[in-house]
Amino acid sequence: MLSIISLSLFGILNLFLGFLKSRRVLLPATLLFIALAFAANLLDWNHQYVYFRDMLRTNNLFINFSSIILLTTFLTVAISRSFGTDEEHTHPAEYYAIMLFSVVGALMMVGFENLIMLFIGLEILSVSLYVLTGSDKRSLRSNEAALKYFLMGSFATGIFLFGIALVYGATGSFNLSAIGSYVSGGPTTGISPLLYVGLLFILAGMLFKVSAAPFHFWTPDVYDGAPTLFTAFMSTVVKTAGFAALYRLLTVSFTGVYGLWWQVLTGVTVLTLLVGNITAVYQSSVKRMLAYSSVSHAGYLLIAVAAKTPQSPSAILFYSLAYSIATITGFAVLILVAEQKPIEGRPDERYEAFNGLAKRNPLLAFSLAVSMVSLAGIPLTAGFWGKFFVFSTAVDRGMTNMGMVLVVAVLMSVVGVYYYFRVIIASYLKTGDSEPIGIRPLYRFILVLTTALTIGLGLFPDVVRQLF
Amino acid sequence: MSLLLLIPLLPLIGFLINGIGFRKIPKTLVGLIGAGTVVASFACVLFLFLNFDGQPRVEKVYDWITVGNLNLSFSFQLDQLSLLFMLIITGVGSLIHLYSIGYMKHDEGFGKFFAFLNLFIFFMLLLVMGSNYVILFIGWEGVGLCSYLLIGFWNKNANYGDAARKAFIMNRIGDLGYLLAVFLILTNFGSVEFTDVFRQAAGLKAGNSTILWITLLLFVGAMGKSAQIPLYTWLPDAMAGPTPVSALIHAATMVTAGIYMIVRSNLLYTLAPVTLEVVGWIGLATALLGASIGLFQNDIKKILAYSTVSQLGYMFMGLGVAAYTPAAFHVMTHAFFKALLFLGAGSVIHAMSNEQDIRNMGGLRKALPITFLTFLIGTIAIAGIPPFAGFFSKDEILLHVFEHNKLMWGIGVFTSMLTSFYMFRLLFLVFFGNFRGTHEQQHHLHESPLTMTLPLMALALLSAIGGFFNVPEVLGGGAKLANFLAPLFAAAQNVRPEAFAMAELSHSTELALMIGSVAVAMIGLAAAYVIFISRKTVPVGEGQEHGLQKVIYHKYYVDELYDAVFVRPVNALSVFFHQVIDFLLIDLLVEGVGKFVKGLSKEFRLAQTGATGFYIFAMVIGIAALLAWSLRGLILG
Amino acid sequence: MPVFYPLLAVNSAIPLSYFVLASAALFSIGLGVVVVKRNAIVVLMGVELMLNAANLNLVAFSRYDPDLKGQMFGLFVIVVAAAEAVVALAIVLLVYRRFQTVDLDEVNEMKR
Repeated sequence: MLSIISLSLFGILNLFLGFLKSRRVLLPATLLFIALAFAANLLDWNHQYVYFRDMLRTNNLFINFSSIILLTTFLTVAISRSFGTDEEHTHPAEYYAIMLFSVVGALMMVGFENLIMLFIGLEILSVSLYVLTGSDKRSLRSNEAALKYFLMGSFATGIFLFGIALVYGATGSFNLSAIGSYVSGGPTTGISPLLYVGLLFILAGMLFKVSAAPFHFWTPDVYDGAPTLFTAFMSTVVKTAGFAALYRLLTVSFTGVYGLWWQVLTGVTVLTLLVGNITAVYQSSVKRMLAYSSVSHAGYLLIAVAAKTPQSPSAILFYSLAYSIATITGFAVLILVAEQKPIEGRPDERYEAFNGLAKRNPLLAFSLAVSMVSLAGIPLTAGFWGKFFVFSTAVDRGMTNMGMVLVVAVLMSVVGVYYYFRVIIASYLKTGDSEPIGIRPLYRFILVLTTALTIGLGLFPDVVRQLF
Repeated sequence: MSLLLLIPLLPLIGFLINGIGFRKIPKTLVGLIGAGTVVASFACVLFLFLNFDGQPRVEKVYDWITVGNLNLSFSFQLDQLSLLFMLIITGVGSLIHLYSIGYMKHDEGFGKFFAFLNLFIFFMLLLVMGSNYVILFIGWEGVGLCSYLLIGFWNKNANYGDAARKAFIMNRIGDLGYLLAVFLILTNFGSVEFTDVFRQAAGLKAGNSTILWITLLLFVGAMGKSAQIPLYTWLPDAMAGPTPVSALIHAATMVTAGIYMIVRSNLLYTLAPVTLEVVGWIGLATALLGASIGLFQNDIKKILAYSTVSQLGYMFMGLGVAAYTPAAFHVMTHAFFKALLFLGAGSVIHAMSNEQDIRNMGGLRKALPITFLTFLIGTIAIAGIPPFAGFFSKDEILLHVFEHNKLMWGIGVFTSMLTSFYMFRLLFLVFFGNFRGTHEQQHHLHESPLTMTLPLMALALLSAIGGFFNVPEVLGGGAKLANFLAPLFAAAQNVRPEAFAMAELSHSTELALMIGSVAVAMIGLAAAYVIFISRKTVPVGEGQEHGLQKVIYHKYYVDELYDAVFVRPVNALSVFFHQVIDFLLIDLLVEGVGKFVKGLSKEFRLAQTGATGFYIFAMVIGIAALLAWSLRGLILG
Repeated sequence: MPVFYPLLAVNSAIPLSYFVLASAALFSIGLGVVVVKRNAIVVLMGVELMLNAANLNLVAFSRYDPDLKGQMFGLFVIVVAAAEAVVALAIVLLVYRRFQTVDLDEVNEMKR
């Protein structure tokens, strides 16, 4: 809870820091703020609190999810260097502040105990992201992406909100446990049809946010158009927060109608896995490939939600952590490589830009290779265990229920290897430019850190899992 | 630190040193580190082997992960099977590392090459040492990755893209089978630890359908890794990599991973007679196919590659008749003589300034005496002529096959004749006759340096005497290897003794069979001698069949007969296999999957029109579909 | 104890079902506008209609809720919608400056 309050204050403080002449203080200050929030977050470990008349609830699960969110935010901020093509007229302080605010929204989505909080958290996160997406004001693509994101996002919000209203009509409450006891208590009149429709609308809104098919169409365009730094931010923080919220909502309130949403989620999972992985194969831009990869990872995470076993939360946590770290690494390398040789003023994000990377900067190539291997789910990396835990929740649920999903998931993870390895091949086996790429110490440190984390989690997954 | 842990760790250290500092460390040091770590690892294995008390043990490095009640540990298993494979990997691996110092001396990627090679050894050791299916899988993926990187090591080759892609797709299809099998094992036994799984499986009945599925899927994995029909065509294409890689990865070690895995799971396979039958026949078909294609290839490495496919087929045929020991034995001898042949070929290619076409060679025995002698030993060994290694292992497999099915045996023996023929054809065309290359090449001819010939001699020695590790009783031997490995199969023998039952063959039958197989090998040798030494036939290029007919026309009547009765039908068969099956069936089927996914991807991409209106419309349709589907009960009443 | 609200309430002048129907109609109109229209501003208006349909529902349902939670949520929705509209207009303005149009079909730089 302290983390939410402190982050809000830090965000405002950051805006004031923007008045300072020297911009160099901004980055370390923001990093410090995030680190402080992280520490404040850990204070409540092993305690359960409920705040503001049952609006928010913090427990170890909340702390775990929010720690992952804060960690990814820290990494993203640390690799930020400049904003937009127009250095003169940008105001970094504002972007850092908006990032902090959006994290507040994400944390509210993780700890909500009341649908009002979920709605507000979701909106804080989304509205901040609309702004960040369009932050490269000179770029046509960035503007277009912001417009598309906004229109589709607010449309999804409308559906989501209507769903909440219907659920309220059926149950008379926004409180998660009150809804839960209505649903599983079995009211004498039978469960109102309003609840079913409302649940499906809420699901559609949430599935949009985590970019599951068929609500994923915004993802490639928005991820592609947004500045790469914010693409990295979106694809990690939103996903973690979205899945935390989805899992919490479905298990606390709607366990009683598992039969209903299980069907929906398995269908969506299969579709998401197919669309995400198969479309990623044909992309010529690495950034777009990573966008589709983000869609496909939503599919894997949905498996754990749909399976709803006692192991599901820890599987989702581990998967989000592994995915976030690897994705940040991938985007961090992409940012550096793409800006080396711009094409028509835009960064070169094609696969060809990675040719011969191993010669130009071995560290970049190695981090990239490790992150891609992890995303592909190859053993000895964190990603493998993420997939392993997720798949084993499906196995626990039973082959009759999840067998089909599992087969599709394993098949698609094979397809995944194809497009992830294309990047590795380009950087190790193809020849390209030989001009070395230099990186700053902080950037280097972040890359080493994420790479070490990916391998470390692959070797000793239990170290982290004991906490989950 | 335990010695067992040190074995995979040493090559890993070598990889790290060479991988990080390959641009700064001088070449001599790189070679020293690369080869030294593997040799040290071999010394450790040897020490363990000499002190092995016959009691298998599992050594836990640490608890890896606990999921629910599944406890997965990172642990190594030391028993007869892992020891045998560790000996082969580090032993042959050391020799090949040593050889590479000379072979790759002038290559600019020297350091990178040794780093990859060490990494490969590390993963291969992990594969055979792991005590559960997950660690095996790590090794399995790791060696695949290294093989992939090393095939493309010289990416100047235009065909590289195809070769690497083919290897990739086929191996991934195999991996898919393996992964599904591991999940089935996990759901049914609640563990992936070898000892747990086999202990529980021992209580099951033969013909259990779950076991059938598990074994079939595992075999799909083995097909990919060990190049069996229909997933074999990547192996010949993988020859685009440097020759030491072909010797180490694509002949001696990685491609035998499938055999290791089946021998390791022998209990499961014994419980699934149907799968064994499938394994046997696919192995036989692969053996025949590989040998027949090998007959008319002209690239020295391609011939050896098809020969490897064929020999792997032999091993699977052996596994299919539950002849686990002979199969493992053949893995060992094959590692010796095939590594030797590849390294010899490498030495020839080295001397010929990267010429690989045997039509441009000839008469090399004078210029390359050591290479010639060692190559000769390897050829005799693979052809199955006693007393060299190949004879003993191949004969044992054939003996078991004879027990099991006479037709299988007949085809096996015929294949063995083809093997002898194409190998001697290769030997004669390369080392005998007159030199057919350019002047420059002739001028340049030289014997390879000592770092290259030393491993050749060592491997030649092993190919010569390797068979004596397991001399059958009928020849007065002690069947040492069989006794050594016997404890591995005790459980399987318990659950289904009939699979192992050997009808008491009289010694005379056994001897007759041996003489028979030696005789066919001699026929192959003789045929090759007649055609390529006496008649000095040189295979002509494709599209010049008229030339061939013309040449034969002026020769003896025997040649024409031979041509009509033997060469042409087999040639047609070879062409048929190569062209029709290889290109049409395999490529269409296997690459078709890849192309299908790509095509689908193209279609899917079209849905991403960029038009916001369409996206929102699609979402609305999605919501409507969700509503209609989940509330169909409500709507329809 | 959560209550299921009968669609026909006794003690109110206008039955609840009227409100639900009206809000459903409003929602559908908003949805239709969003799907059919190409002008970004008009689409935005459609979204506002959808939000207000939800608001109508919330307020109508809260008539039967002693805590008036629905009305409170309604207020939140209005505030959030206002914030959204601010950001939306800023984005639309920016897009118009770059593309010289707000027609969604023409704002399509990233065609595949």
